[in-house]
Amino acid sequence: MGTQSKEMTARDEIEAGQLNQMRKGTTTLAVLKLLVDAGEPMHGYQIIRALEERSQGLFQFKEGLIYPRLHQMEQDGLLESRWEGEPGTRRRKVYAVTDKGRRRLEAEMAQWEAFRQGMTSLLGLEAIRS
Amino acid sequence: MTIDEALDRIRARLDLEAETEYELLEEIRAHLEDAVEEARARGLDEEAALAQAAARFGLEESAQELQATHVGWGTLEGIAAAALPVLFALVLRWSIFAPDGTAIGWRELLNRPALWAVAALALLLPIRHFPRRRYALLAWAVFWGLSILFITFPALRW
Repeated sequence: MGTQSKEMTARDEIEAGQLNQMRKGTTTLAVLKLLVDAGEPMHGYQIIRALEERSQGLFQFKEGLIYPRLHQMEQDGLLESRWEGEPGTRRRKVYAVTDKGRRRLEAEMAQWEAFRQGMTSLLGLEAIRS
Repeated sequence: MTIDEALDRIRARLDLEAETEYELLEEIRAHLEDAVEEARARGLDEEAALAQAAARFGLEESAQELQATHVGWGTLEGIAAAALPVLFALVLRWSIFAPDGTAIGWRELLNRPALWAVAALALLLPIRHFPRRRYALLAWAVFWGLSILFITFPALRW
């Protein structure tokens, strides 16, 4: 029983690691989709809260890690930012999707949909649902 | 712990240009203030709210990732920043100026589209690729300085 317990813990750790890697790869897509759907610029705190809520808890990571991701996306030309608020008050940096970001979102959504359909077919999930 | 102390923990792990660091910390300050406000609305006291906000933020992990994202130019970018204005100034000297390298008839020179095309490219390319606009303006200033130097001392045969 002790050995089984250790194996399950190791397996859980591997699955958690794999899930984490998947999350890292999809954060860019998730942020782009979120901002496009919002239709208005959002700051980092709003983005992280919305990610948690819309993903039903799947996107839960150290909140500060959203900022390197947002800054990298800005450097890559997918987002643009501006400061809102006057100096001396609580200023917030808000992010909006650029045209390049929209094109990237469309491309990745298409890839994701193709992947989803392929896996659904491979795993026979349509048969299970019906 | 206060928000300033939390930011100090992040600052201690950053080694970036002053303006970049200031903007990062201001952005994080707003995040922590929002998080504390939300936690206090749920009934936590100030100290507990900030402790929770800092724990959920991941001060050290975030600082590490921010440093990696914003670290200064690599070697190639540094070489490009130094070489570009020199390259454009040399193109100007060999393609636009008179054969002996002087700007003879400089008034007519100002009417040559090629002069302005090279000058525009010498500005637009750095603006497109350098992280901050002032680096591009500095490169452009170096380009003009070199160009004036080339036409002032043609005997040196650049």
